[in-house]
Amino acid sequence: MAVAIFSTMSVALMIMSEFLFLEPYVVGHIPKDTEIGFVLIVLIAALSGIVIPANVFRVHALRRSRQKMGGGIAGSVIGLTAGACSCGPVGFAVISTFGVVGATATAFLTLYELPLRIAAVCILAVTYVTTSRSLRTECRV
Amino acid sequence: MAKKHIALLAVVVIIAAGTAAGMAGLGGSDTNPSVGSVSFAYPDRIIGGIQTGNGSPVLGDALAPVTIVEFGDYQCHFCKKWHHETLPLIKNEYIDSGRVNLVFVDYAFLGNDSPKAAHASYCADDQGMYWSYHDELYNSQHDRIDGGWASDGNLHAFARDIGLDMDEFVECMSSSKYRDRVASNTQIGTDMGVEATPTFFIIGHDGDPVMIPGAQPYGTFVRVINSAS
Repeated sequence: MAVAIFSTMSVALMIMSEFLFLEPYVVGHIPKDTEIGFVLIVLIAALSGIVIPANVFRVHALRRSRQKMGGGIAGSVIGLTAGACSCGPVGFAVISTFGVVGATATAFLTLYELPLRIAAVCILAVTYVTTSRSLRTECRV
Repeated sequence: MAKKHIALLAVVVIIAAGTAAGMAGLGGSDTNPSVGSVSFAYPDRIIGGIQTGNGSPVLGDALAPVTIVEFGDYQCHFCKKWHHETLPLIKNEYIDSGRVNLVFVDYAFLGNDSPKAAHASYCADDQGMYWSYHDELYNSQHDRIDGGWASDGNLHAFARDIGLDMDEFVECMSSSKYRDRVASNTQIGTDMGVEATPTFFIIGHDGDPVMIPGAQPYGTFVRVINSAS
């Protein structure tokens, strides 16, 4: 599950941020000055891949509260949507569907791409720490 | 608590369904576009099945064996990136040597200032300065869409900066005479299946357009151009 979440999120984020293109050839490309964005994408995908399965385990196997699950999902969603440029296919679909509201939302996501991604990493990191602490306690025999 | 979850789920489903419907509606046909009764600046300029008659003047040799048709928006950040990073390399290697030419077609969808900027580019074209104005717009682009950088006042300032006759430019802008031209270009893009900006079509000797969606690296253009030549 962790590998599936990491792979899916990495590919989705790289396509949305135009680090990866599938047509007409599969091409990866990290333009200069976008290295930080790329590293943040990998971090978000990796942390989501750890935090979400850990919380699924807590909720299903240990029957614990879903509270920490929320942090993992919130961090992943913020990480996914940040940088959904209005120019890209997702932003374009949002604008086509929701008009001015969609344009405003995607413009915000593009403009504050880096701060939003950093916020997502922070949320996921905090969720990771609290989840691993509680798993250590809850799994103690 | 359960009601709260159901309401949240309903909002998520509505947003997802709306976005999916939007994406499903984006795929256009690749046949000749439906642009109604708009007249064309270059009526016979249909390249690889794409009606570019209301696009920019040709950059480069009009008889070049390969044409790049770019659908772009002046407020699009990726278009600016491509304009500054990839276009100079293509121009240097292919356009200046007469092997490729470029036509820019507006896909003005990002905000209220996008069609105005596109309109202004055609007012500059009236004075033979389309490409200078095009460059000026991408050089002046700011991060915030509709943040004022392409306001009427700034569009006039850009015209002044590149030395246009201001009386003629102001009159053109007030007449809105190119509003339908810009709208028809955007419609053509939709009909061609454009789903993001910039989107490129490269048309070579066989006349089949190869689509390149996004601000892809120079290497992708080299591969497609070389195989189309």
